[in-house]
Amino acid sequence: MKALYIASTGMSAQERNVEVISNNIANMRTTGFKRQRAEFEDLLYQQITRAGSQTSDQGTMIPAGLEIGSGVRTVSTPRVMSQGNVNLTERELDVAIRGEGFLMVQLPDGRTAYTRDGSLERSADGQIVNSQGYPIDPGITIPGNATAVAISPDGLVSAYIDNEATPTQLGQLQLARFVNKSGLESLGDNLFIETAASGPAQVGVPNAEGTGNLLQNYLEMANVNSVTEIADLIAAQRAYEMNARVISGADEMMQSTSQLR
Amino acid sequence: MIENAQLIGLSRQIALQRQMDVVANNMANINTTGFKSENILFEEYVMPVARDQDFPRLDQPLSYVQDWATTHDLSGGAMVQTGSELDVGLNGQGFFAIQTPAGDRWTKSGSFELSANGTLVDLNGNPVLGEGGPIQFGPEESGILIAADGSVSSSAGAKGRLRLVEFDNPQELAREGSNLFSGGTPVAATNTRVMQGFIEKSNVSGVSEMVEMIRVQRAYESAASLAQKQDELRRSAIQRLGDMSA
Repeated sequence: MKALYIASTGMSAQERNVEVISNNIANMRTTGFKRQRAEFEDLLYQQITRAGSQTSDQGTMIPAGLEIGSGVRTVSTPRVMSQGNVNLTERELDVAIRGEGFLMVQLPDGRTAYTRDGSLERSADGQIVNSQGYPIDPGITIPGNATAVAISPDGLVSAYIDNEATPTQLGQLQLARFVNKSGLESLGDNLFIETAASGPAQVGVPNAEGTGNLLQNYLEMANVNSVTEIADLIAAQRAYEMNARVISGADEMMQSTSQLR
Repeated sequence: MIENAQLIGLSRQIALQRQMDVVANNMANINTTGFKSENILFEEYVMPVARDQDFPRLDQPLSYVQDWATTHDLSGGAMVQTGSELDVGLNGQGFFAIQTPAGDRWTKSGSFELSANGTLVDLNGNPVLGEGGPIQFGPEESGILIAADGSVSSSAGAKGRLRLVEFDNPQELAREGSNLFSGGTPVAATNTRVMQGFIEKSNVSGVSEMVEMIRVQRAYESAASLAQKQDELRRSAIQRLGDMSA
C-alpha cells in the first residue's frame, strides 16, 4: 500500500514546515532577521499509462495518462529578503540599512561575514564592532575624546572631538550586495557568509548601485509578520493532521484485507 | 461462477488502493506551491464471454473495474502574498516554461530565485524561460519588476518577457515531480495574468480529499466483506453438497 508511505512524506514535510515557522516566530524580535519559507515540491510519478499511447490502428490514443505520485519533499527554505520595519533607538551607533546591502564583519577566523544587524558598539580600544565584538570591515576607530559620532546616509563616519565645531572624518562604511541574497548561508548570530550560490560580494559605498543607504539612530526589525506566521502554522498543523488521517485510513484498509480468510 | 465474483471484487479493491494512493499524494502536497490535485477515473472492463447460439439465453458479460486515467484538476489555488520580488503567481490557465537538461518543462510554481550569475531560476536551479531564452540580470541591477503581461524589467531597463504557455488539452500533460509537467502542445498564453510578489498555493481541498478518502475506505471495506461472504457461501456449498447423508 503506497498510500502509507506517501502520507508519511507529507507528515515529515509539514514537520519541517512547522520547524521553519517556529524559528521565524522565535526570531520575531531579532534585529535584522529575515524570515524563511519552506518550499515543497512533488516527488516522482509512476507512469502506469502514458497519455497519448495508441489504442488502435486508426490512431486513437489515450487522452489522459494514469500516473501515481509518490508524495512530497522539502526542496528549500529560501529567505524572504524584504525590508523590515525600522525602529528609532536613539543610539548613535545603531544603523539601519534601507536597501539591499549588508554590513561586513571580520570573523576571528579571517573570513568576512555579512549582516543586516546594525546595532554596532565601541570596543575598549575604540574600534567599531558588532554585538559579538567582531570588528566591522573596513575598520573604523573612534578616538577616546570623541563626544559624538555621526553616520551619514552614504556611510561617512565622523566624530566631534573635544567639542570642536567641525566634525573630523573617521572613515567610510561600506555595504556588500549579492546577486542571489537567498543563496547566503546563515551562520547564526545574525551573520551570513557567501556561498557559490549567492555569487561573490560586490562591495560599494552606501547610496550607490542599489546598496541602499544608512539611517543612524535606527535599527531594522525582523521582517516576520506574526499574523502570516500564525496562519501558516495553522495550515501546517491541519495538513499534518490530514496526512496522519490518511495513514490511519490506509491502515484500516489493510486491516480489512488481513481479516479476510 | 463464484470465482468470477471474487475476481471482480479483487479488481475493485486494487483500483481502490490506487485511488487511495492518489488521495494520499494530493494530501501530501497540500502545501506545495503550484501543485494541482489529481483525480483518478475508473472504467468498466467487459470480459469477453463464450457465446453459443444453442442456449436460449446468452451468458451475461462480466464487468471488471479498471483504473483508467488520472486527470489534472487545474483550478486555481489561493494566491498568497510573500513579499519577495522574485515570487510570481499565475492567474489563469497558463504555465511558466522551465529549461531543464531533459528539455522544456511547464510549471505553475512561481517561486523563483536568481542564480549566482544572475539568471532567473526555479528552486532546482533550472532557468526560467523568457520568450527569447533565459532571463539574465547583471550584478548591479536592482528593482526587478514583473508586469501583469509577464514583461520583466529592472533598473537596467527591459529584460524581455516571461514565456507563458497554455494548453488546449492540459490532460495530455504528464507529471514529472519537482512541480514540473511535461508534454502537451504549448501555445502562447492569452488568458493568463502575472502577479509579482505572490505565489499560488496548492489547489488541494482538504475537505474534499478527506471525504474522498472516507468513501474509498468504506468502498474497500465493503468489497472486502463481499469477498468474505463469497468465501462463506462457497464453504457452506461444499459442506452441503459434500454431505453424503443429505
